[in-house]
Amino acid sequence: MHNLIKFYLVLCLGLSSAYSYAEDSEAIVLLKKMGLAAKKLNYDGVFTYQTGAKLQAIRIIHKNNKKGEVERLLSLNGAARELVRTNDIVTCIFPEGKQVNVDRRPLGRGFPSDLLSRLGSATPYYDISLGDVARVADRSAKKLLVTPSDNYRYGYHLWVDEDTDLLLQSNLLADGGVVLERFAFSSIELGVEIPDSSLQPQIRGQELTWVRNKTEPVNKLKNKKEALKKGLVWEVDWLPLGFTLVAEQSRRKSQDGTLVEQRVYSDGLSSLSVFIEKRNQGHRHLEGISTMGAINAFGMIAPIHFLTVVGQVPARTVEKVGHSIKLVNY
Amino acid sequence: MTTDENELLSALVDGELRGRELDKAMALLGKDPSAKDRLQRYQISRDAFHGYGTKQQARATQKISAAILLEARHKPANIKAVEKTNVISLPIRFWQQTLSLAVAASIGALAVVGVMTQPNTQLVPMMPIAAMESTQVLESLGTTVVASKAVVLPLNSGNRWTVEEQEIEDRLNIYLVDHNEYAGVSDIFSNARVVSYESGQ
Repeated sequence: MHNLIKFYLVLCLGLSSAYSYAEDSEAIVLLKKMGLAAKKLNYDGVFTYQTGAKLQAIRIIHKNNKKGEVERLLSLNGAARELVRTNDIVTCIFPEGKQVNVDRRPLGRGFPSDLLSRLGSATPYYDISLGDVARVADRSAKKLLVTPSDNYRYGYHLWVDEDTDLLLQSNLLADGGVVLERFAFSSIELGVEIPDSSLQPQIRGQELTWVRNKTEPVNKLKNKKEALKKGLVWEVDWLPLGFTLVAEQSRRKSQDGTLVEQRVYSDGLSSLSVFIEKRNQGHRHLEGISTMGAINAFGMIAPIHFLTVVGQVPARTVEKVGHSIKLVNY
Repeated sequence: MTTDENELLSALVDGELRGRELDKAMALLGKDPSAKDRLQRYQISRDAFHGYGTKQQARATQKISAAILLEARHKPANIKAVEKTNVISLPIRFWQQTLSLAVAASIGALAVVGVMTQPNTQLVPMMPIAAMESTQVLESLGTTVVASKAVVLPLNSGNRWTVEEQEIEDRLNIYLVDHNEYAGVSDIFSNARVVSYESGQ
């Protein structure tokens, strides 16, 4: 028994120093450059998105000028869905549902540029290293291997363009190196002139229903005061190691005016969102886990709220975070 | 490391920092390697306090369990002699196998209960966390857990939410668009999930 205690103490000491701390290595620098390249460059290309047995081809056109960023994605097979993203508005066009959704995103500009400044804090939780050079979309690409230190987050294999640092391929890996999702450019033109007409949606919206969701600026102090006045505040009691609150916003749904609060937590590389939506009688909500590719969601119904955790993290993570959300009575 | 810095890191673990304080903590973590070490210790302590284990802690549990099994094989000779006079002696291997079967049965029952209590909105049954983590512990000990392995399914379910109600699906899609703004490392591709929703070949 004595030996067992000694063994346990040695093990505990070992645990605290078991992580590897990578300084700003070449791999980290490349990761930061990759994030900036995606925002700054002009490009027009086609990539494939593969998850499970599904394969989708998508055209992406991205332009950055003095006015900021504009990006358009268009699905090339199946329903001709489109998504146009500007600095602060995301417009989703769903021709099969005859609907256009427009969302303001006041916090969007702070992220991922904000994420890049947090990459340093992610290094204790991932092993980030450089791999071999390979060829993607007829271009030479450096491979980055991102391996998580625990099973609460996914790993990545990334192929980054040698000339421009743009991400050309991303394999998202679950436990055991299983590829859950793969995004890979098949062709891309970089540094080209993008005419404004290329960024206009092909689908005209006259015959479609437009849904505009209003986003309210978060007044943290006011929110806190109101919550405290009511005496009850939702708090997330558990997060994976290294995850901290990086953004929060409140949005009012156009359909019924329901207020939805979103809190975003990140470790610098992965992120998850907690949504707190006022419950409407007669409305249904997710209870338990739901999965779409590498995105997992966990939902619960509280007496007056729908609570949902959504993230590009394993199911066990959203479930554990969801179970830890509690109503704190001040 | 000063007391103020320790308090700053402690508050970071508790998710209490905002704005300038959060930036200050990030700067500290960036320049001082010992701060990262301390942050992790705080987080491990906090997780342990709340009963949440990390993978490393799970490994510790595995090793301790293994050590207990090992100790059982090396009992002092005099104790063994006393036991022989009082109880029916069976080979240690028999008890180990019985123990493994009992644990496997419990895990199997847990997994079955987990699946049975899943709501109708879930098409892909997921194993409860407790069962999943217990399975990993048992697997590392070399114990076969047939019942639990049977319900471990791949996470990828295609490009559509695994729900039955349209209303729930719509709400999750709105959340997905909102979350995509913070998608992380593969941000450039994150909206591909939205435009390819329920299409593809």
